[in-house]
Amino acid sequence: MSKQMNTTEQVRRSLKKRHRQEQRFILMGKLAVLSGFLFLAFLLADITIKAWPAFQQTWIQLDVAFDPQTLGVEAAADEAALKKGNYRGVLKKSLSAIFPDVSARRDKKALLKLISSGAEYQIRDTLLAAPEMLGTTQQMWVLADDDVDSFIKEPKLRELPQDDRRIKDNQVAWLAQLSEQGRIESQWNWAFLTSGDSREPEQAGIAGALRGTMLTILVVLAMSFPLGLAAAVYLEEFAPQNRWTDLIEINVNNLAAVPSIVFGLLGLAVFISFFGVPRSAPLVGGMVLTLMTLPTIIIASRASLKSVPPSIRDAALALGASKVQTVFQHVVPLAMPGILTGTIIGMAQALGETAPLLMIGMVAFIVDIPQGITDSATVLPVQIYLWADSPERAFMAKTSAAIIVLLLFLVTMNLLAVVLRKRFERKW
Amino acid sequence: MNQVAEAPDIHQVIKETVGSPFTDKPKISTRNVDVFYDDKQAIFDVSLDIGNHEVIALIGPSGCGKSTYLRCLNRMNDTIQSCRVTGEFRLDEEDIYARGMDPVLLRARIGMVFQKPNPFPKSIYDNVAYGPKLHGLAGNRAELDEIVVSSLQKAGLYEEVKDRLNASGTGLSGGQQQRLCIARTIAVSPEVILMDEPASALDPIATATIEELIDELRQNYTIVIVTHSMQQAARVSQRTAYFHLGKLVEVGDTNQIFTNPQHQLTENYITGRFG
Amino acid sequence: MDTDLNLTPHISNRFNEELEEVRNLALNMGGLVEKQVSDGLKALLKAKSKLGEKVASSDYKVNAMEVDIDEQCTLILARRQPAASDLRLVISIIKTITDLERIGDEAEQLGIYAIKLADDNIKPSQFVELRHLGEHVKGMLHDALDAFARMDVDAALETIESSTILKEEYDAISRQLILQMMEDPRQIKNALRVHWCARSLERIGDHSENICEYVVYLVKGRDVRHVSLDEMKAELEI
Ligand SMILES: Nc1ncnc2c1ncn2[C@@H]1O[C@H](COP(=O)(O)OP(=O)(O)O)[C@@H](O)[C@H]1O
Ligand SMILES: [Mg+2]
Repeated sequence: MSKQMNTTEQVRRSLKKRHRQEQRFILMGKLAVLSGFLFLAFLLADITIKAWPAFQQTWIQLDVAFDPQTLGVEAAADEAALKKGNYRGVLKKSLSAIFPDVSARRDKKALLKLISSGAEYQIRDTLLAAPEMLGTTQQMWVLADDDVDSFIKEPKLRELPQDDRRIKDNQVAWLAQLSEQGRIESQWNWAFLTSGDSREPEQAGIAGALRGTMLTILVVLAMSFPLGLAAAVYLEEFAPQNRWTDLIEINVNNLAAVPSIVFGLLGLAVFISFFGVPRSAPLVGGMVLTLMTLPTIIIASRASLKSVPPSIRDAALALGASKVQTVFQHVVPLAMPGILTGTIIGMAQALGETAPLLMIGMVAFIVDIPQGITDSATVLPVQIYLWADSPERAFMAKTSAAIIVLLLFLVTMNLLAVVLRKRFERKW
Repeated sequence: MNQVAEAPDIHQVIKETVGSPFTDKPKISTRNVDVFYDDKQAIFDVSLDIGNHEVIALIGPSGCGKSTYLRCLNRMNDTIQSCRVTGEFRLDEEDIYARGMDPVLLRARIGMVFQKPNPFPKSIYDNVAYGPKLHGLAGNRAELDEIVVSSLQKAGLYEEVKDRLNASGTGLSGGQQQRLCIARTIAVSPEVILMDEPASALDPIATATIEELIDELRQNYTIVIVTHSMQQAARVSQRTAYFHLGKLVEVGDTNQIFTNPQHQLTENYITGRFG
Repeated sequence: MDTDLNLTPHISNRFNEELEEVRNLALNMGGLVEKQVSDGLKALLKAKSKLGEKVASSDYKVNAMEVDIDEQCTLILARRQPAASDLRLVISIIKTITDLERIGDEAEQLGIYAIKLADDNIKPSQFVELRHLGEHVKGMLHDALDAFARMDVDAALETIESSTILKEEYDAISRQLILQMMEDPRQIKNALRVHWCARSLERIGDHSENICEYVVYLVKGRDVRHVSLDEMKAELEI
């Protein structure tokens, strides 16, 4: 009895210490979660703030006179002739109309620099769309140059000495005048989401890279899912257990750990040099990324297949189902949520890869939005890498904006994984 | 544990099966069965007949090879790579392990119910209909419905589930799940049903229901049941076979085995003595 | 299992103890009953009415023991669900104590008649025939209990065999008493009393024989009731 009392007493004494330990651990855990969360929040906030300017674009209003004489075409010109017109002259005239005092050649040049170099194509396309405008004067909003854009968005640039600015004092004065006349406006930058890449930041958009990414992912999905599933099912359900399968298993696991750039080299050597698949295309990019994701998918699928209770297999076999029927009617459907999750996570991983794609030429500067898997294309991470490398100030914001698009893409895919998982999940 | 030390001893004690392992006109007859897992022998020279329309109980300590022997009968051991089976197995004079014998056909004739109820995560209907669909036993939907209903009835489950045939089979209670598994097995109209500890995961009421069912099924099927519960063996079976360390020690009339076993090892096991 | 009863210990120690306990109780009860029979016989043959009273009034002890052992056996059946030799042991004990209780009743009868005969001043010399029969029955009961205690089939069979002599002796006594009654009708009352005693002794012999049969069942697992001795031996392959 007294011994029992003793035990109780001792337990009670150690109890306090144990509770303290527990609380300490919980506190540490909470701190860890909190700090992780803070880092993430900080990162997202930083990127969002930096990306904000990229979603806004400065426009300048001009009174564009489509004067056949200035354009150097006849009054009844056809489309081909209109295409060749001198639209830069038109722009110059429009500017002169606003600033009649500017006469020096150098100043005129500086004046023209206020608007984007793409503006002449913009007014050309407008005229081509509506040839009846020839001979009339239209009020039109044209893109401002990226330097102007940056200057307007970032007030602190104004405080720099003139020599350190890309916008000189006379240009500042003109901008002030335009602004007074209500000819400067900031608009939501749709072009960022709808146009391809460009050397000019104010015209550069993410659509090409987005489409490239989607095409690449489609290729990856179409190739890695069936291949991975077939390999996993074979290895897990059919392959005899011997030294060869052990060897294959080890190799698959090792492949998952191989640096991704190696896959790029392989893709370059095998797909492009040997098989002659067009370089820079989503097809070859997808093939390389397939190589990279396959091990992940195989490992995840095998784990998922393994977790299907053997009793289900026994049940089907004992009813007289053949091996294949057992596997495809019972085991695979039950493992599907896990397989899909593995596949999507593997693809999301591939989606974020840059290194292997650099090796197969997907880093090229491509303006056109790819239409098929054999067109030259680039993908989001590579686009980010390219922009981050560009000297123009406005590309900084574009980089962040592209990161946001990439993150959204990844989140969507992961959500899809969750939804699929919930949808297919069955209890037993 | 001390199996290695005991092995030679046991070969001395169990020279041959005592009792009456053979019957006239057996449904299944097995002779000189040896089973190995890799190099480890799990069954030693077992010869046993299973009579038509009888319930035979296989009893013995854990790991003595009851399940192994049972799984030989419908070739479920084929799925275990390391498992090697030798000896003679006949189902109605047909060689079970003959080259021409397709395990799929064999398993349609010899059904199996497992220890843990293992319904497919599908509806009750689909669970029962799976086998008949697999083997094309029903020409149309009406026939299939009929098979499903009659199987559920035979398994004594129909009244309980008739309103929710489309509910998931895994949502049933343990005992109901096991009866569902039995219904699923008899939906294929097998000749023999193997049961590996079918009630060991169930409560006494569910167990009693299953035992009652086994007794009824005996009219139409031959049943081989492995059980840990001696009382269960005594209640449901007509013959009992006692396995010990992979050997068949004694086979006999259940009544006799449980009142007056011939072999010391059988006696020790069923009375709960150190053996 | 072919030759001897299995007495290696169970995995459950408690079960061992329980079985051992009811067996001991049954043996104790046997001892008590044996004492009752021998006292009853003594009271009868030595005309000691005091002893007769003691025997007649002690039967309740035997009855109480029967109830106690019965209950313990019921508990073992419910709790342990014994099988094979354990089952046979419990069943044999249940049956044995029933016979022992009946023997106790017969001993009580002996006591009662001993009182009656002594009170009527009947000299034991008038029924010496009973002495022989009584000794024989006492011996049979003792042998039966001994066979039960030692689970000795051979001894049990021997005892069963000796019961034929008992029958003969009983028949002889009966005939003699009938003769007495015909010779002297005044003796009919006492002769009937003596006959009742002989009858009780004969019953005790029967019950002892039953106990021996239970021993055979217990050890051999064969039911040898209502079987002739030769058939019995043939079946047991002795
Ligand atoms: N898949 C297996 N691989 C290797 N050994 C096995 C396997 N299954 C069973 N065994 C061995 O075979 C023996 C008999 O097992 P089993 O038939 O399951 O016994 P029981 O059903 O009587 O408990 C045991 O020693 C066990 O370890
Ligand atoms: Mg087993």
